[in-house]
Amino acid sequence: MSRTEDKAPPAWVPPMEFDPASARPLPAELEPDAPTSLAGDILPPPRRGKGAARLLLLSLAALLLAALGFDTADLINRAFNWSPWAGSALAGLLGLAVASLGWLTGREALAWRRLRRVDDLRQRAAALLAGGATGKEAAVLRDAVADLYAGRRDLAPARHALASAVTDAHDGREMLALTDRILLTPLDSAAYRLVLAASRDVAVGTALSPAALLDVALVLWRNMKLVREIAALYAARPGLFGSARLVRRMAENVGVAGMVEGGDGLLVDALGGTVAAAISARLGQGMVNGLLTARIGLAAMHLCRPLPFAADRQPGLNDIRKELLRLPQKIL
Amino acid sequence: MADWLTRIEEGSARVVDGAAQVAARLAGGTLRLGVTGLRRAGKTVFITSTLNNLLLAGRLPFLDVLAQGRYIGAQLRPQPDGAIPRFDYENHLAALTGPAPAWPQATRAVSEIRIALRYRPAGLVRRRLGGVATLNLDIIDYPGEWLLDLPMLRQEFGDWSVQTLELASTRPRHDLARPWLEALDTIDPAMAADEATARQLASLYTQFLRQCRASRIGLSLLQPGRFLEPGEMEGAPILTFCPLPPAPDGRWRNGSLGALMQDRFEGYKDKVIRRFFRDHFARIDRQIVLVDLLSAINAGEPGMEDLRRSLSATLESFRHGTGGWLDWLGGARVDRVLFAATKADHVAAPQHATLTGLLETLMADRLRHIRFEGAAVKSLSLAAVKCTDNVLTEHEGRQLACIQGFPLGRTEPLVLFPGELPDSHLGLGDAVADRFRFTDFQPPPGLGRDGRGLPNIRLDQALEFLIGDRLA
Repeated sequence: MSRTEDKAPPAWVPPMEFDPASARPLPAELEPDAPTSLAGDILPPPRRGKGAARLLLLSLAALLLAALGFDTADLINRAFNWSPWAGSALAGLLGLAVASLGWLTGREALAWRRLRRVDDLRQRAAALLAGGATGKEAAVLRDAVADLYAGRRDLAPARHALASAVTDAHDGREMLALTDRILLTPLDSAAYRLVLAASRDVAVGTALSPAALLDVALVLWRNMKLVREIAALYAARPGLFGSARLVRRMAENVGVAGMVEGGDGLLVDALGGTVAAAISARLGQGMVNGLLTARIGLAAMHLCRPLPFAADRQPGLNDIRKELLRLPQKIL
Repeated sequence: MADWLTRIEEGSARVVDGAAQVAARLAGGTLRLGVTGLRRAGKTVFITSTLNNLLLAGRLPFLDVLAQGRYIGAQLRPQPDGAIPRFDYENHLAALTGPAPAWPQATRAVSEIRIALRYRPAGLVRRRLGGVATLNLDIIDYPGEWLLDLPMLRQEFGDWSVQTLELASTRPRHDLARPWLEALDTIDPAMAADEATARQLASLYTQFLRQCRASRIGLSLLQPGRFLEPGEMEGAPILTFCPLPPAPDGRWRNGSLGALMQDRFEGYKDKVIRRFFRDHFARIDRQIVLVDLLSAINAGEPGMEDLRRSLSATLESFRHGTGGWLDWLGGARVDRVLFAATKADHVAAPQHATLTGLLETLMADRLRHIRFEGAAVKSLSLAAVKCTDNVLTEHEGRQLACIQGFPLGRTEPLVLFPGELPDSHLGLGDAVADRFRFTDFQPPPGLGRDGRGLPNIRLDQALEFLIGDRLA
């Protein structure tokens, strides 16, 4: 130890001066990370499929497609050999099938793109809000959100109200807040009503259904319908693939959404269910299922909204819980 | 004897005030908004614009009751205190929106107004109970000069004299105070009281105050306020006193000039200040502090320091605290305080954040103190009447955020780069004339012609903070 100190050159005596011009600010990585709120809408990015699995699926699909193609070509050939009439009829059918498939794919792709656009908008807005939005960026975002609903006649009054409420003196944060409050609030309340209706349906349905298997089918079908309804309300009616993607992302995030009220969670829901179960086992089960549906609905709202929910304006489960607790009185 | 009688009287009055505040809160009926601000801070314009915007309800998107569609409407009502003149809303509005728009004249007397707001409550229970609720908002307007009397309530004549003389001997004021100080040197305060001398000294002192007010630096710590704006007390003997050098042995002999002035000072505190405070400020629920930072910056560091001292001293007189249920025993309390940098439209919009930050650093001590007392505090920059537009111009290849409006006394609109605000009030120096020269603008013609209310900047956020919770 002492030997190294002996070896140190005399220029290393501790108070040492440097030229201030050569100093540069501490690199950003050393500073603490910006807080990311889980309760907010910065959701984890979608998980990418494993490369190998994806390759396998793709190659299998390509094989299947090739086989189908060969078979069809063969079939049409044989039909032409047998009679030109039958051949042309079959070829016409094929053409129809291909055209409708293309149409479907196009629609699906459009919906998919719209959903992706909403995702993108939300992420940009979250980033802007976290880092003090400048007016120009926020204005771009506001116009993008307004564009998203340009074709919606029911939102025309809200669009007008937004245009007249924003002045040149609002900063970026205020501009986004106004967009949120004026343009999206009507959509939010409509979505909340959808969630409420679905959770009521599920609660009553499970309480009344005679078989467990029927329960499962009912819950699955109603949840799927709810998610599609909410997506259609905020952005676009998702097709098959869009729905699948939404459901997958929701399964990842169902714990994140709807957890805003302090001290609540699945435990409270389960407890509420137990209390109801003390009255009737079926009612209790219905309550829990209804609340789970509500959670899924709220997650869908978070995922389909073009702007993240403001911290103090997140939809909560409270109203739904109250409504569900009132159900037994209504039924009995 | 008289001392503890006053104290008991004050204490009981405070408890009664507290009980009245709680009763009003329970009934949900009335809310007293205290608009505080020094001279030229924009109180009258703020009140006018608030009333106008609440009546027309077209430009307040951040007011929740409006955004949620629960607002029904508003109407001006006769104020509860019939002895005070009504706030002249119609004439002030006409001045702003008339063919030759101008800011309202300086306020010379107290006036009051009540506006009743009708809304549908948000809560389930209250909606089931009533359906429609009414909130009466009481606002008073008064000369800003009078506000600076409030710190005098806690001072004795001796302390006040010492403080005022000290202030008068420092640099920006010293030159203006010379005639009065010279006259003060020639007399002996211990001599027999003489009305003529007292009058002469008081008038010299009043002249000094007037010159301070008119000076370019815009000094605001000018006491007593009634010397400048006597209101209904014009010529009353109670207004003929002035600070005197301290008595050699601590108190003045009976019948001396010093004793006369001391008596009048006490009388002024009792009959003027205490009455003003009791009638108008003792029971306010919410407070907005309007601060004209831009003029103070124009005046450099002395101006900022003067502003900070005046405001801090004034705010000490108010009782801030939580609106808790048992707090009424200690008297009425202000549970929300908003600090607002006014005239935000006189700088470009990207500068608003700096303006708010500057206000926060300037008033940091007070803000912290009020927050500690338990009241909710917020600060923002606002313009009660927005009279400029934000525009971009090119200058030497750089884009500059400018404002476009009518500067005072011009009839042609002008595009102006107002300059950038400093980050801190410290280290401004006195000679700032070459760095900061924020121009005053006048209201443009055709304000509020669309019938949606006077254009404003963040008036809605201010109102949401001040009264929004009572409209829930």
